[in-house]
Amino acid sequence: MDTTLSETQRLLRESLRDYLGNEVPFDRIRELEREGGADQALWEYLAGAGFLALPFAEAHGGEGGELTDTAVVLEELTRRACVIPFLETTASALAIERHGEEALADEVVRGVISGAITIAPALQSATPANGASPRVVDGALSGERRFVDYGAEVTHHLVEATEDGEPALYLVDAAGEGVATESLSTIARTPLAHCSYDGAPARRAGGAEALQFLGGAGRALCAVQCLGNAQQALDMTVEYVGMRVQFGRPIGSFQAVQHHCANMATQTLSARFLTYRAVWCVDQGIATDREIAKAKALASRAGTEVTMQAHILFGGIGYTEEYDLHFFSRHGKERALAWGSTEECLRVAAETLDEVQPWQ
Amino acid sequence: MEFGWNEELEAFREEVRAFLQEFDTPALRTELANRGEAAQLGPEQTRLREALEDRGWVRMCWPEELGGEGKSQWFQFVMTEEFAKREVPYGSGFGTMVGPAIHRFGTEAQREKYLPGIWANDITLCLGYSEPNAGTDLAALETLAVKDGDDWLINGQKLWTSAADTASHVWLACRTDPDAPKHRGISTFIVPMDTPGISVRPIMTMSGGRTNEVFFEDVRVPSDALIGEVNQGWYIIANALDHERVWIGAGGGLRHIFDRLMAHIREKRPELLEDDVVRRRLVELELDLDVMEGLVLTNASIVASGDTPTMEASMSKIWTSELRYHISNVAMDLLGHEGALTEEADGFAPLGGELERTYRASPIQRFGGGANEVQRDIIARRGLGLPRH
Repeated sequence: MDTTLSETQRLLRESLRDYLGNEVPFDRIRELEREGGADQALWEYLAGAGFLALPFAEAHGGEGGELTDTAVVLEELTRRACVIPFLETTASALAIERHGEEALADEVVRGVISGAITIAPALQSATPANGASPRVVDGALSGERRFVDYGAEVTHHLVEATEDGEPALYLVDAAGEGVATESLSTIARTPLAHCSYDGAPARRAGGAEALQFLGGAGRALCAVQCLGNAQQALDMTVEYVGMRVQFGRPIGSFQAVQHHCANMATQTLSARFLTYRAVWCVDQGIATDREIAKAKALASRAGTEVTMQAHILFGGIGYTEEYDLHFFSRHGKERALAWGSTEECLRVAAETLDEVQPWQ
Repeated sequence: MEFGWNEELEAFREEVRAFLQEFDTPALRTELANRGEAAQLGPEQTRLREALEDRGWVRMCWPEELGGEGKSQWFQFVMTEEFAKREVPYGSGFGTMVGPAIHRFGTEAQREKYLPGIWANDITLCLGYSEPNAGTDLAALETLAVKDGDDWLINGQKLWTSAADTASHVWLACRTDPDAPKHRGISTFIVPMDTPGISVRPIMTMSGGRTNEVFFEDVRVPSDALIGEVNQGWYIIANALDHERVWIGAGGGLRHIFDRLMAHIREKRPELLEDDVVRRRLVELELDLDVMEGLVLTNASIVASGDTPTMEASMSKIWTSELRYHISNVAMDLLGHEGALTEEADGFAPLGGELERTYRASPIQRFGGGANEVQRDIIARRGLGLPRH
């Protein structure tokens, strides 16, 4: 048991923080919001510097690291509001590598590590209520998925679809025939798409185990994003109230302000343990839906409440477009809803209340 | 990061479980149930305590210079956890807090005089800190110790001195320099409670427990009752309070309350589980307990890595103490009027009256051991680095 960062994780965090601080100014994020799309230059850097290779097996050209290493990287990317399909691609390729078709795994993972392949999961949970769940007949996939993060930016979709009634994952070339995407605008202003498939050529990528893994890994890693938004808003707030002077002294010296900050810090640290434990358990293959759901519920709340409390303490300046705080409150709320909102996750935990074991 | 237990600790956990299997006997249970507020251990508890000593488990994680073996703090954690799971107490109350202070700040002669007794629980302690005008502002304490020849003469009054009626000694903070700034004129003493001039008056609390006022009238103690340097007391106290904070932060009992609440609902009130709102509230309590576990393990990780938690210890203290209120409050609410029943309502009270008892006893966890408002100050100032005004 050790909740502290390993030496590797510390180094990863510091080198990425340095790079992002220098090379990805917030105005770059504003530009991407205006023009749409993902940050291709950043993706190329991450590939070149080896960040994309971290969690994959050495046999596939990866680093053979822990998934928590990748989570540390993801948290850092989140803290810079980066617009890249890092979670989506990593979780998808890992699902294929660990539980999918071996023939495909080598090709996909090597492609991901090189930066050439990016993947967006398109799962059952992302189906419009009146939409048609995708089906596969003779290697052709038809149906629709909504709420596909980076659906219009990635090279491939990993679609949950049924073939002869069996749910499985299928890899679809996003630029190929039979795939249409329509961008959806969200509070985060990050890419989201409604995807329609009409006889798109699909390769089977994995069965029930791969599906299960992808759902769990995606949710646990999304909890990391929630946490990253909370942590960034907290740190920005502490810095700001420590120097903003009113009534002749820093507002951070007022006890009411200090106690808000103390509560924000407590909520963030509380979510941190459960979130990283969930990621670690996913990596070890011992995660339960229930534990992941609980972690995501907690992280979703932190990502929402801490970022919103930050606005209350910042006052007017934090409310402006030109200041950077809104990235984290908007992303924090959107990530709180993605991969299962607080309410959806609590429902999972409530439905499985019988699984609670006495402490013994 | 690593969220599992290594083989060595797993093996140790099994050893502790086997140990408890052997020593957690019906006789021990009877003794614990009937011991009331006695400070001295009964024969069964003494047997368990001596067996722990034989195995070298009591101070295995202490640094070697404090008489320990310097093992990883996780061994202590695992042992504490297994004892807590079975609700078997161990340790000697405030001795675990005062012992290290004497070891660190006392003379060789004082160590020899007090430590073996503290470890064997022959010396039991109460804390002489709070006074009528020195509560949260502890450094305002006024009980005066004046040098009189080779002796010290002590006059004053302490308040909220729990266990003063049963302890053999008081760990006492006195003012030794009234003219110095308030933090720099305090010294710490260890004084036998049967010293002439000490009198104890009981104060009963709403939890059903007893605390005390203690009066000191011309109490004469020899010079070696002083631990550490004259006027070094505040530093020594602050050091010991850090231990108390971690101690109060341990909240294993709350998990048992949750488990017993679930068992009660399943057996006696299964209709409640048909209600989605009830299930959701139970999940929220479980989540609160998960957070508690996370904060405790985060603190333990910091300690095990050789650092000292500051804001993390305060977070754990706040969370656990507020949860003690919250879990009993919500549980009573879910059960309705039966939640109000006490253990005297023989056979009717849910959880044998534990819910209302916990609810009644919960305030002290929040204002005691450093009020939660002060803990939030510590998080903001020492942890986050926000300025004082």
